[in-house]
Amino acid sequence: MCLFFALPLALTYVWSFFERTMFWMKPGFTLFSYHNFFTSARLENFLASMGHSSISVIVAFIFGFPIAVFIRRRIPQVAQHRVILLFILPFAVSEIIRIFALRPFLQRNGLVNNILLELGVISEPITAILYTPMGVIIGEVLSFLPFIVFAGFLAMEAVPKYVFEICEDLGASQYRVFVDVILPLAAPGIFAGSVFIFVNGLGVALLPNILGGPGAVNAGLIATQAITALDFPLAMAVNAIMMTTLLGLLYIGHKLFDLTKILSPMS
Amino acid sequence: MPEKNDIAVEVKGLSKNYGDVRALKSIDLQIGAGEYFVLLGPSGGGKTTLLRLIGGFIRPTAGEIFLHSAEVSHLPPNGRPTSMVFQSFALFPHMNVQTNVGYGLRLRNMPKVEIRERVDAMLEMVGLTGYGERMPHELSGGQQQRVQLARSLVLEVKILLLDEPLAALDAKLRKEMCIELKRIQEKVGITFIHVTHNQEEAMTVADDLAIISGGKLLERGKARDLYENPIHRFTAEFIGENNVFDGHVTAVDGEGHVMVDLGYTNLTVHGRDQMPGVGDKVSISVRSELVQLVDGNAMAAQGQEILSGTHRETVYLGLTTSELVRLPNGQELLVRQLSDGSGGNGIKVDEAVQISWRTVDGRLHVS
Repeated sequence: MCLFFALPLALTYVWSFFERTMFWMKPGFTLFSYHNFFTSARLENFLASMGHSSISVIVAFIFGFPIAVFIRRRIPQVAQHRVILLFILPFAVSEIIRIFALRPFLQRNGLVNNILLELGVISEPITAILYTPMGVIIGEVLSFLPFIVFAGFLAMEAVPKYVFEICEDLGASQYRVFVDVILPLAAPGIFAGSVFIFVNGLGVALLPNILGGPGAVNAGLIATQAITALDFPLAMAVNAIMMTTLLGLLYIGHKLFDLTKILSPMS
Repeated sequence: MPEKNDIAVEVKGLSKNYGDVRALKSIDLQIGAGEYFVLLGPSGGGKTTLLRLIGGFIRPTAGEIFLHSAEVSHLPPNGRPTSMVFQSFALFPHMNVQTNVGYGLRLRNMPKVEIRERVDAMLEMVGLTGYGERMPHELSGGQQQRVQLARSLVLEVKILLLDEPLAALDAKLRKEMCIELKRIQEKVGITFIHVTHNQEEAMTVADDLAIISGGKLLERGKARDLYENPIHRFTAEFIGENNVFDGHVTAVDGEGHVMVDLGYTNLTVHGRDQMPGVGDKVSISVRSELVQLVDGNAMAAQGQEILSGTHRETVYLGLTTSELVRLPNGQELLVRQLSDGSGGNGIKVDEAVQISWRTVDGRLHVS
């Protein structure tokens, strides 16, 4: 754990203060990389990518969590894990292929546009879907969805079955059950799941590359570009900022929900 | 408060099947308003199914359910004048005691001030004044069940359903809670229907009880009736510690005496209302505290039944001492006496002994 997680993480921070050389970096202490990051368009891109990553997580949650609740509530216990397996299956396919496979669906003369045209819903192909931030969001939502369903499924672990019987006895509507009981009890799990998915979303460099067109950049892409430009300290700084964001979000979550609860069984 | 001679619950021909399993086989039952009624029986006998049908958590396969004369079998739980106290410590884990108890009222859009007043009054009733701010995990098992009780009572329903409410508590606490439940029921005066497999718990709280087994209602009555004069063999086995002998009738006389052949000896028993025919398979039961060990050479006196066996074991239980005696057919018989402080009767293992009881203490079971 220390060797494979904490050490590289610490080194990321250390290296981010190193000085850049022609092909590598040399020890030292400089804020140059951070200065470079915060004063360039990279900051703007980073914030923008946080923005659409947040939107994607929320949209994916709106679609994905009810699916998770449905699986927990309506599918017989023995079949639940099989159904969840269906949502894990896409991960057996390489991410790049999965994302790439969206292009025939979303592009100008892709399936979605063709069907909409055929049905007469639109008279001209929608060009806003692919190669725009919208494309990135659609791609992210679709690639987050299985994660959200899975995270939601785990989060529902914290909602004991008997609470639904109490609700039935007291006469709580489906809406009240969801708002008063399911959400608060599943909140820690939902939050933890969302943060991991969110940060993962920030880091996936492929997505904006394939679906986003020239304008779309996310943190992962910034780091990749920095590495391509042989600016290792800058790449490390971008990573360090991402890690800090993740840790900061987890800390806030911990303060709000006491995340240790999701790691230990309900008492 | 309901009238005493009102009928709170009436079920007619109530059946429930789970696939091929017949959990409940055409039950007919009436429960009077304001009664503390207990459904007693072994696990898997159908008593919880019956309770959940009354509460509306499951739908019957056949039959009708009337609660205070209204047919309710199509209504959901909250459409019925009932509320349920569940077996496990079923509270909302993220709400404190106050919010847990008041949640049902909040759903009914009652003003906050009024909810607060009613919840406080109810917490006082169940002995939890000052616990309003506690979270469920900060309460003991007994306290959690009291909160459940308050959550149901605060709704002012006419019928409270209790599904094995004390099953998860230890023996001492269970006894205390039994007395507490009885006290609260007498105070609020509504109908309580309590499911349990624990005979002592049932007898402590019940005004009236019903034995449910194999999906059928076998017998109902007061605790005393079921203990002293059980009609069915099953009731005799289930309630109290009875010795049960199986055999067949060899003769019936004009005074209501029934002669039963056990295979290794003959016994006589009073038929009372039941008069089996010669050759019928019957059982005789006798309470273990009415059986005595007697001298190995004693002869049966008039009005006495006597059996021979070998002594197996003496079990000292404090108040009582139990003697286990093996009968010629291998069956073990229990003799229970108050411990007399004499330090035991000195009977050795495998020593031949005789046991006897008064003929009038035997009870005939034709089913």
